[in-house]
Amino acid sequence: MSIKTIVVIFIGISSGLAVGCGFVAFLAVLGIIPRLTQLSKTMKMIHWYEWAVVIGAITGVLASLRDPVLGLTPYILIPLGITDGIFVGMLAAALTEVLNVLPILMKRVGMDGKLITLLMAIVLGKIFGSIFQWVYFIHH
Amino acid sequence: MLEKTIYIRMHHRVQARNHEKIRLEDIAQIIAPEELLPKLKELNIHQVSEKDKNIVIIDVMVVIGVITEVIKNVDIQTVGPAQTIIEVIYKKKGGSISFFLLIWFLLFFGSAMAIMNFHDDVSMQSVQEKLYTIITGVRDQKPLLFQIPYSLGLGFGMILFFNHIFKKRINEEPSPLEVEMFNYQMDLDNYVSIHENKESMKKLDEH
Repeated sequence: MSIKTIVVIFIGISSGLAVGCGFVAFLAVLGIIPRLTQLSKTMKMIHWYEWAVVIGAITGVLASLRDPVLGLTPYILIPLGITDGIFVGMLAAALTEVLNVLPILMKRVGMDGKLITLLMAIVLGKIFGSIFQWVYFIHH
Repeated sequence: MLEKTIYIRMHHRVQARNHEKIRLEDIAQIIAPEELLPKLKELNIHQVSEKDKNIVIIDVMVVIGVITEVIKNVDIQTVGPAQTIIEVIYKKKGGSISFFLLIWFLLFFGSAMAIMNFHDDVSMQSVQEKLYTIITGVRDQKPLLFQIPYSLGLGFGMILFFNHIFKKRINEEPSPLEVEMFNYQMDLDNYVSIHENKESMKKLDEH
């Protein structure tokens, strides 16, 4: 019995380790945190940002595994939604950038000068697609 | 007799039209004794023609060859890049509005579909419903209070990453996309300056 428990704990820790490493490596490759510190000029606070990511991840784990019910006002969801959106938006932007999609695309279509306008097409497309999905698409 | 010194620095990249004569002045910065300077500037290096296609590479060795033919007894010092890339411009591009709109809508609907597929792939809807239940204690099939701010934030996050609010910048630094475009251009330049350069490629079958 106790051996089974130890084995389960060991497997739990090792899978958590693998997923945690993967999560941090993913963030590091995309370079979102350096980008944010560069925009806000807060390079010295980088350790606090690391802890924010770690604590956030653990909070997410607790919320998804333990199913707590807080019974708070739904308006808290507005800032949560905005921050979630910004984070996913930065992920999406960083991912297209790592894959080098846009420079090659702009070069191919010969429109290097209209960078911002074409970038706006992508941004507005994401907003449109997202709102369309939540308001209309999923209920059909 | 003291040798005269000419300093030459090749430009990295210049643009030229078809049938244009490329003079030394067009492709390099020159520092030379005053009596030689006007003659040097007017030296013909290359005549652009159809067979050049889009890119011509002028190697600094070609330039030195031309100079020593005309002016003897000079010491030529080269500084900076060893070749100039001449981009031949045939006609002004980007005039077609319909082509531009096509690409704009291609990107617009493409990224709309991509984000919807992504949301479905990561089961975003069920996570958001669950989060709504955790915080409020109420079950809601449509947690729009979370989803609409999320959608707007999504766009804002992308803008933040690329450092553009439409045409205004948040700060002076170049955006990662601009750096990426620059790096890509440098890679291309690097490639053509070796692969299109007759001076640095000697194939066996040419002998």
